[in-house]
Amino acid sequence: MITDFPAAPLPLPDEAELAAELAAFGGGAMIPKEMRRTIFPVITKEDVFNLMLAQRALPERVVADFAESYRDYVGANHALPTASGTSSLHLALIGAGVQPGDEVIVPAFTFIATAQAVVAAHAIPVFVDIDPRTYCMDPQAAAAAITSRTRAIMPVHVHGLPADVPALRALCDQHGLALVEDASHAHSAKIGSATAGSLGDAAGQSLMADKNFPLGGEGGIAFFATEEAYRRAADYVERHGIDYRMSWVAAAFGASQLKRLPYYDQVRARNARLLGEILDGTGLFRAPYVPEGHVHAYNMYRITLLPEAVGLDDLPVHAVKEAVHELLVAEGVPAREWQNSPIPCHLPFQHRAGFGNGYPFSLNPGAVRDHRPEDFPVTVGMLDSTLVLCRELRSPVEYERALRYADAFAKVARRPDAIRKLVADNDYRRPYEKAARLG
Amino acid sequence: MELFDTATVLTRVLTSGVVMSIEKSDRELPGLERLLTKQTGRAKAVLLNSRSAAVHAALAGQGIGHGDRINRPGLGRQDLAFVNWLGISVIEEGVEGGVEEGPVAFDHLALDPENAHQLGEWARRSTAPALVVDLTGLGFGPAAAVLTDDADLWARAERLKIFGAYDLRTMWTQEEADSNLVPGVQFNYRLSPLVAACVRMALSQAARPHTTSGATK
Repeated sequence: MITDFPAAPLPLPDEAELAAELAAFGGGAMIPKEMRRTIFPVITKEDVFNLMLAQRALPERVVADFAESYRDYVGANHALPTASGTSSLHLALIGAGVQPGDEVIVPAFTFIATAQAVVAAHAIPVFVDIDPRTYCMDPQAAAAAITSRTRAIMPVHVHGLPADVPALRALCDQHGLALVEDASHAHSAKIGSATAGSLGDAAGQSLMADKNFPLGGEGGIAFFATEEAYRRAADYVERHGIDYRMSWVAAAFGASQLKRLPYYDQVRARNARLLGEILDGTGLFRAPYVPEGHVHAYNMYRITLLPEAVGLDDLPVHAVKEAVHELLVAEGVPAREWQNSPIPCHLPFQHRAGFGNGYPFSLNPGAVRDHRPEDFPVTVGMLDSTLVLCRELRSPVEYERALRYADAFAKVARRPDAIRKLVADNDYRRPYEKAARLG
Repeated sequence: MELFDTATVLTRVLTSGVVMSIEKSDRELPGLERLLTKQTGRAKAVLLNSRSAAVHAALAGQGIGHGDRINRPGLGRQDLAFVNWLGISVIEEGVEGGVEEGPVAFDHLALDPENAHQLGEWARRSTAPALVVDLTGLGFGPAAAVLTDDADLWARAERLKIFGAYDLRTMWTQEEADSNLVPGVQFNYRLSPLVAACVRMALSQAARPHTTSGATK
């Protein structure tokens, strides 16, 4: 039997290990190699039982019941379940009234699906820079990008932190634009009491199994504020023969996971708080910024490096980051960059073949730019100076793992000498100088 | 497929903990790919999450896109609408405007529990560069595959999928030595491992006669 049940428990944290030699220099790793697997999603007997029951139900009913349950949880007015997050974003844009050749403003820092969904809608993604603290779309940059052909603004609640929706809403209202959320990272994220997915005129959200709220494999859901928008999207897939339907297998798994989502949300928030307190005490690391009144879902946890706090301000920050990355990975912390280049610098948006022969970019050549990373200085600065944890806060059965991650960061922060040595010994390139990565 | 068999397959995959298509340790998607290539005699399989996705992959795999036209007679209303949405016009069989059209762009068939055992036979009759196999009728939700002997077709079709097989092998790096392989628009057309596992079991059972155990005799 192939099982994901852990072979052995992690040892409890030990203060002595913090003072030991770094793993990259021959010391013991904070998390031993054989204990590094992070189990996600947590699959329980309820998930298995629900899938068994679903076999006896009509597939359409299983999917519809799931979509209705989750729509109610989010507080959106209408929902359309889909096969993926990309397809949900596509339909959210269609529901919002986006037409071929329209311009849709998106952040330069996101997952590539945000921009590809715009192309799927036969529209043109117009990329803008991000806010230096939230890493979400900068409303001022969005305002500067509006033209007579702009139809929608699509902020991304990056990593689970809601974008500045009040400012963007005001901007949309001022210019008669649709506000379409990319809520793919932001399950249960909130501004005040309103949940991500219910904040805009429409929203798309990935429900793939690597998200905080996972379905059984792949899935997504589009939300709409009005029935008219919902109908527009539903009619669109029917009229064009597009099969974006969700599998009942994925939906049945999601139905039981949804019941446990509030529990997992609390565990993630607790782990984020725990890690944040320790990071902020290291000097070198800073926890994610969360504006007042926002609830961060922590689908990912982006940590900022502050080399000046440990006397490393004479070194390039990207080099310090690379060195720290190496040290953390050696300690057993699966930190990563999660994106190393602005999305407009990825190959599909450099070549712009689209559906073929340059469509839909050919519909609106004036909206197309040959971007370079330097066009997005805030994004590039963030990529230079941050590292990300992904699943590592989501594993609610392993509290001791969160503690050990925190200890690993503290252990590395105590050793600016080691960081300096690695920087001296290596020729670290800036993130965007390497081939663009999807994740 | 018997409910017990479906239950067993689903429980097996859930027990493994791997339900995500981009998990490196996933064995279900490669397993279905192997079965399909074996049953059809084709070298390569591309798994997708719907029939329309497979039609898209079959065309994009051949570099056919917006503004192009294809020879593909006998498409149903839904397929025709989808191909038109891609910006591709469809020409009926034979001669149009005095110009002889090329070979059929792709063949297609739809499997269900009653006809799934005929996959191999139908595949042998297919001569198009891509064979679209709609697996939705097997009962586990929208699912499909493209079978081909053309390595370039496979490579381009995989790149149509965000986080397709190519991205997983390169650990998601989009560097391309061949500019012809750079993707244009991309969709998440990935199939779920749970669905793939069920489809594989259904196809395996269809290919061999059902036998009872000695205990039931």
